[in-house]
Amino acid sequence: MTAGSVAVPAVDPVRLAVITNRMESIVRAMSNTLFRTARSGVINTGRDFSACIVTREDELLAAAESLPIHVLSGPDLVARYMKRVHPDLRAGDAFLHNSPYEGNSHAADHCLVAPVVDAEGEHHFTVLVKAHLADAGNSRPTSMMMRARDVYQEGALIFPCVKVQEDYEHVEDVLRMCRARIRVPEMWWGDYLAMLGAVRVAERELLALGDELGWDALHRYTRDWFDYSERRMESAIRRLPSGTRTACTAHDPMPVAGAEHGVPIAATVTVDAEAARIEVDLRDNGDCVAAGINTTEATARTAAMIGVLNSLGSEVPVNGGSFRRLQVDLRVNCVAGIPLHPFSCSVATTGIPERIAGAVQLALSQLGPDIGMAEAGGMLPASTSVVSGGDPRRGGAPFIDFLCFGITGGPGHPRGDAWLNFAGGCLGMNARDSVEVAELLHPLRIECNRIVPDTEGAGRHRGAPSNQVEYTPVGATLEFIWSGEGTTNPAAGARGGGAGARGAQRKRGPDGAEVELDAFESTTLAPGETLVSFSAGGGGYGRSTERDPEAVRKDVREGYVSRARAAEVYGVVLDAAGAIDPAATASRRADLLQAAAAADGFAGSPVR
Amino acid sequence: MRFAVDTGGTFTDLVIEHADGAFELHKSPTTPDDPARGILDVLAVAAAARGVELDALLAEGEMFLHGTTRAVNAIITGNTARTAFLTTAGHPDVLVFREGGRTDPFDYTRPYPEPYVPRALTFEVPERIGAQGEVVRGLEEAPVLETIARLRELEVEAIGVCLLWATVNPAHELRVGELLAEHLPDVPVTLSHKLNPTLREYRRASSAVIDASLKPLMTDYLHGLEQRLRDAGFGGRMVMVTSNAGVLDAAHVADEPIHSINSGPAMAPVAGRHFARVDGASDTAIIADTGGTTYDVSLVRRGRIPTTRETWLGAPYFGHMTGFPSVDIKSVGAGGGSIAWVDDGNLLHVGPRSASAVPGPVAYGRGGTEPTVTDASLVLGFLDPQYFLGGKMKLDVEGARAAIERQVAQPLGLEVDDAAAAILTLATDQMVMAIKEITINQGVDPTGAVLIGGGGAAGLNSVAVAAQLGCPQLIIPQVGAVLSAAGALMSDLMADHAATFVASTASLDREQANVVLADLRARCERFAAAAGASAAETTIEFAFEARYPHQVWELEVPLRRERFEGAEDVARFREDFHALHQDIFAVHQPEAEVEILGARARVSCRLRDPDLMQVAVAAAEDLPADERRVYFPDHGWADAQVVHLDAMRSDASVAGPAVIESPFTTVVVDPGASARRAESGSLVLTIPAAAGDLPAATTAGAAS
Repeated sequence: MTAGSVAVPAVDPVRLAVITNRMESIVRAMSNTLFRTARSGVINTGRDFSACIVTREDELLAAAESLPIHVLSGPDLVARYMKRVHPDLRAGDAFLHNSPYEGNSHAADHCLVAPVVDAEGEHHFTVLVKAHLADAGNSRPTSMMMRARDVYQEGALIFPCVKVQEDYEHVEDVLRMCRARIRVPEMWWGDYLAMLGAVRVAERELLALGDELGWDALHRYTRDWFDYSERRMESAIRRLPSGTRTACTAHDPMPVAGAEHGVPIAATVTVDAEAARIEVDLRDNGDCVAAGINTTEATARTAAMIGVLNSLGSEVPVNGGSFRRLQVDLRVNCVAGIPLHPFSCSVATTGIPERIAGAVQLALSQLGPDIGMAEAGGMLPASTSVVSGGDPRRGGAPFIDFLCFGITGGPGHPRGDAWLNFAGGCLGMNARDSVEVAELLHPLRIECNRIVPDTEGAGRHRGAPSNQVEYTPVGATLEFIWSGEGTTNPAAGARGGGAGARGAQRKRGPDGAEVELDAFESTTLAPGETLVSFSAGGGGYGRSTERDPEAVRKDVREGYVSRARAAEVYGVVLDAAGAIDPAATASRRADLLQAAAAADGFAGSPVR
Repeated sequence: MRFAVDTGGTFTDLVIEHADGAFELHKSPTTPDDPARGILDVLAVAAAARGVELDALLAEGEMFLHGTTRAVNAIITGNTARTAFLTTAGHPDVLVFREGGRTDPFDYTRPYPEPYVPRALTFEVPERIGAQGEVVRGLEEAPVLETIARLRELEVEAIGVCLLWATVNPAHELRVGELLAEHLPDVPVTLSHKLNPTLREYRRASSAVIDASLKPLMTDYLHGLEQRLRDAGFGGRMVMVTSNAGVLDAAHVADEPIHSINSGPAMAPVAGRHFARVDGASDTAIIADTGGTTYDVSLVRRGRIPTTRETWLGAPYFGHMTGFPSVDIKSVGAGGGSIAWVDDGNLLHVGPRSASAVPGPVAYGRGGTEPTVTDASLVLGFLDPQYFLGGKMKLDVEGARAAIERQVAQPLGLEVDDAAAAILTLATDQMVMAIKEITINQGVDPTGAVLIGGGGAAGLNSVAVAAQLGCPQLIIPQVGAVLSAAGALMSDLMADHAATFVASTASLDREQANVVLADLRARCERFAAAAGASAAETTIEFAFEARYPHQVWELEVPLRRERFEGAEDVARFREDFHALHQDIFAVHQPEAEVEILGARARVSCRLRDPDLMQVAVAAAEDLPADERRVYFPDHGWADAQVVHLDAMRSDASVAGPAVIESPFTTVVVDPGASARRAESGSLVLTIPAAAGDLPAATTAGAAS
């Protein structure tokens, strides 16, 4: 089959590039099928899903276009677990998996997993899609139960790698259970079919590729590709300074034992440039708590990896090969580690994982200039509520969906200002709803969707500003449940950068009076009432006095920063016409630097 | 006589079509500072070739069809008008937030995109229409007048207006338009619901501001060009190629210049459809246009050219969405000028960086030092260094070899020939992947399609591309090198009209549907009566945009009838939707009802007899056949016969290994493949099954 013309070098670079393209295109086909055909807004608009190929050794091979928090670690653990509980894998099998104790993220992320098994019955790859469902059968109409005491109160149906297809036929017993327990079951069924279609597309394509190239050649490829990726990782790490740093941040307080004053999150990062290794130690964190905020093994590990990869640049391929240079130390029964049954991990992809990534970024930033980044603004403001109720335009038919609106929070970083629509561990890969589509799908009106000035984490490179969103029901009474974070503890800046604005949420009555609400809360809105949500801003990177005055002038012109804040925080003084006043600016900046130097004398630690 | 002129980045192409269907091709350099001069230049070249004066040539012209990259270039270079954006109060950041999304999550080198209109030029209009078209908050005119005063102060040159739900109730947008016309009569305005009445405010707003920003420039350009053509002796009709593979009168495009954004490449599939039918007897074709820096792939699917809503100016998520349907074209950075390089992990890449027109490939000897696909083709013997562009340019083989040796062969530990073959293999693979991605997305099976190779460099590896795809037939039209200009000659006057119409097959109000469709028909007929008055034939096609409940991405489902008389018409529409969903996504849900979001109508006025452009084979000359050494990646060096295209009469055949050359292109015929000259003048190549050792997978992306 091969040309066999010339002596092929040990690793054929052309073949490596070509097969890599093939693998990525298979993953893209999975994503496209899911995105275009799914029914939940959180999937078909919010892109809250991932698709990937895992090797038979259970290492991540390809995951194009996936949300990072879903996929860096997790699919590897799930694939391993599948082999453990189903040692006799057969073509035509497919498994539903969402157990937070066996490699998944939170229970609302349903995975469909299929082994790629050849005609001789040999298992070669595992393909996996994971999507955040609008509903997972929880005790309350939300897929994220921040206040859940344990997995029982959370209430999600847990599927520890349960067979849902055999010989390519549905296992109806299990699917009937889902229909009986998941809200708006026809919507769930549409999402399920979309996910199934995606894994079957990938399976078919990998089988075709194995037939054409030979399975040995494909396994040789994965070895070579991982070696190559590891080399790229080594050279990226070698560009960093060596050292060990610990940084600490904190999740907002929760009304449960051990979290009343917030949940401190510490990360100790060791860069060994010579050995080209990075280690992140998360073991020095508290035990699991009786709330839905505990991480899973997958999300704790992934969050640490995100924090590191955010500093390594895009030339490092993200897969099991590059991951060999990265070690994450986790502890069992740890709020930022491996959870014990029956602690709840209902919001295990946001909150604590965002704080883990933040702590890793802050620790790296202490190693030297132009490394690390600030902390991202906390995700899931009230604008990202799970909303439910009856739709009067459809005869009161029940609906439930996860609104994908109004998250910003991008951190300032060494290369520049924040990515606006960053959204924590999504790193901007998620999408936003359209106001008109949301109003068409749900009986509500979005009164306001705007950026709030002076909410950015100030810095040489600024964080993302806050996004204000207002909802009001139209002809219905609706329930909103959200699971936010960052209302008490803002996103920290790095290398002298300022913190982002705190998030906030309020309920406004028909008389205009506003009531403050918690970061994680639910509320029922009747027509005339309004839910007002402010996302948390991202932290800034570097001192605000180092920011290019031109950039500050532009921020003022564009309405991101007020004149007063430009002078007060950035030390840039503008004249009446909006031009920079160089003399006043120099003098103001000198004052600010002096004040900062004085503060540095006793600041010392970034503990907040 | 009709003239088609395509102003590209490097060359201005002219195709002249004679009344008997014969045509001639001319090329002349583009003059970016004054593109009209380049157009007059190429017309002068044609006049000289015929031995007549320019005015005599132009006097014979009935129609001048024009495609240009002027609009898109103005956007890329930031030379559009100073444009303001008027939006519903509370929603000033529509153009800032966009629809989210990003690629390469760990790449922090690319900043968040700037909005098309800065926030400083964005103004909120106190008003609100609800999703059912109800007035939630009436339009307050006093603050609008204050905004208008501010716009005057700011010396704004164009204004785009997009208010929420203007598609359902345009009263507020219309009133704002009236106030602007009254108080700022000289500033062009675009109202979103008039230009692009589609759901999703970002797309509609983006359409409106992009369109407005192009108005001053394109009005000047089109009026200026028309005047200069008239002064030079042209008395016919001037039409512009649009992004949806049709043409519109130049005056119409001056009013809605956004339609000229994809004006150039959109025509390639029109030409491809023609040659697939004439030479390949097929209504399904893949059209691959090889340029200097990009490889543009488009499709013809059962006689139709698929369009996409998601047209990006620039990279997806980083550029701006036009919000308009345009011909679905996928571009990858794998053209003749794409640079081959090796990264620090020893992986070979081709593109996306290009040597561009300046300095160009190393072989051009104009200062290029980085090896390109063209250089690899030269080293492998695909190109004749003495006969490039008909001998007008000599190529530097040794320079090309040295560059490949230095930058690819040595780092990878390969022989130079093998390194050059690897570059071609990888470029070929990227092209195959681009084709796979678009065909799978559109539900087309490449093994049942004809591949049409366009662009000057198409012949270098199109046989290899076809073989990997499993396409049994490859057609290289005689006008392949100027495929877009040729397509312009074949296109119809065309306009799309849209209306928001929200319904479900469970409870479709047939009367309401019929009113919406009748209104669309009336709009189409107005267009046909005005612009298409001289058309040979006018057709109007209707479609609904529809989806399953809870889905958000609509499919455009053609309607069999333009009236819903009874329940059976609704049932038939529902079945058509199921079938289309199955066709594209490989699943459907027969028990589900179907939701409708909008109605569209396309009016096409045919300007010419579709069967012309057949008579073409130039008088065959007896040019001697030659032979040279050519390296084929799967076979190594072989003796290939070299045949001049003009020496091939109709039905003449050449078996590979061979190279067929003309002044405009070089076609490499791999061993096992064969080429036949068709009556139309096209080369029709028969591709042996599975020549490559690597199979084609589903879809694709560029190597990274």
